[in-house]
Amino acid sequence: MADTVIKLRLNQQQLELMDRTIANGVAPDRAALVRLALREYAAARKAETKAKPNDLEPVR
Amino acid sequence: MSERRVLFEHILEPGTGKGIELLKGQILRIEQVEGGQCADFNCFNLHDYKEFMHCGRTRTVHGFHPSKGTFMWSAPPRERAMLYILEDTVGRNDVLFPRCSAYVYEASYGFAVHTNCHDIQAEAQREYGLTPDDVHDSFNLFMCTGVDQDGHAYMTRQTTKAGDYVDLLALMDVLAVPNICGADVMRTSNFALKPLKLTVFAATEADLARVPKTPTLKSQRTPKDFRNPTIKSDRPLRRDPAYKPEFPNTPIRITELPVALSEEELAAFNAVKRTDIYGEDDAAALRDLLFSWWEERFLQAHAGAPSIESE
Repeated sequence: MADTVIKLRLNQQQLELMDRTIANGVAPDRAALVRLALREYAAARKAETKAKPNDLEPVR
Repeated sequence: MSERRVLFEHILEPGTGKGIELLKGQILRIEQVEGGQCADFNCFNLHDYKEFMHCGRTRTVHGFHPSKGTFMWSAPPRERAMLYILEDTVGRNDVLFPRCSAYVYEASYGFAVHTNCHDIQAEAQREYGLTPDDVHDSFNLFMCTGVDQDGHAYMTRQTTKAGDYVDLLALMDVLAVPNICGADVMRTSNFALKPLKLTVFAATEADLARVPKTPTLKSQRTPKDFRNPTIKSDRPLRRDPAYKPEFPNTPIRITELPVALSEEELAAFNAVKRTDIYGEDDAAALRDLLFSWWEERFLQAHAGAPSIESE
């Protein structure tokens, strides 16, 4: 199955934050940063769901 | 450890307030004489009264009940730590409630004149040339408050005893203005007006060593950074015909960032995306996810509050 492309709409400030994060070595480029965010966010929610099945909100 | 040196003592009588020049490195102790008395408190940069304590910022950083180990911050764009709460024997103060005012006592109780925190503050601040409009949102010491399940703030009686105190350490030269809360027909001070004792100490090295470091940032601007550094000296507002807006980072420009998701990634996204908020707008949901993740992974302080190094 072909990849699904989602087009994020981001302003220059949001891109600046992403680029500074990338410059710190977190991910090689913007799209990779989004995919990393997705993987880690989903993994955290999955772990939470096991612990608290009715609460998908992050614990702050 | 060396002893603190007493520099000034004053009994704050019911119905009164007092402006105190509290210099950097000095401690103001506000102490219960009989117990059960709320103190309202204002604070200004002694050298620039336009910098003043900001309860809104303080409550965001430290919550509704600032106590030992927290700071009192000045308003944007200064946003500097003005005071540090070095000691607090009770641990129940308030930055939710506004100061009580003459309006409250007239509207709710029918008083033509009644002691009230706004007017007491204004009268105390007049000693330093300030006007009633300069009184700002109050830090309410010893005031016992909370928020009910419907989101309304409430106050209850307090349990403070004689000798309970809060020590405020000045991190800059300030005009500190405590006053005896004027509320004797409310629960604030257990339905009576009582004195409070004020003591100013010179902080010891040990006191100063207890203050956590706070960040120094470019965004903490002072009048030298303002496009208009001149304090307006008349009351009417008139448009400046030469005004040209210079809002930062404008115009806001939108860029599209295509992100290709594999089948597995798409499944993960579909499992967590916030359709309750974004419906079918996957781009908005993925943007939310991106910055929610960023907050979780990188943001050190609650609600965007300044980071503070722990002791």
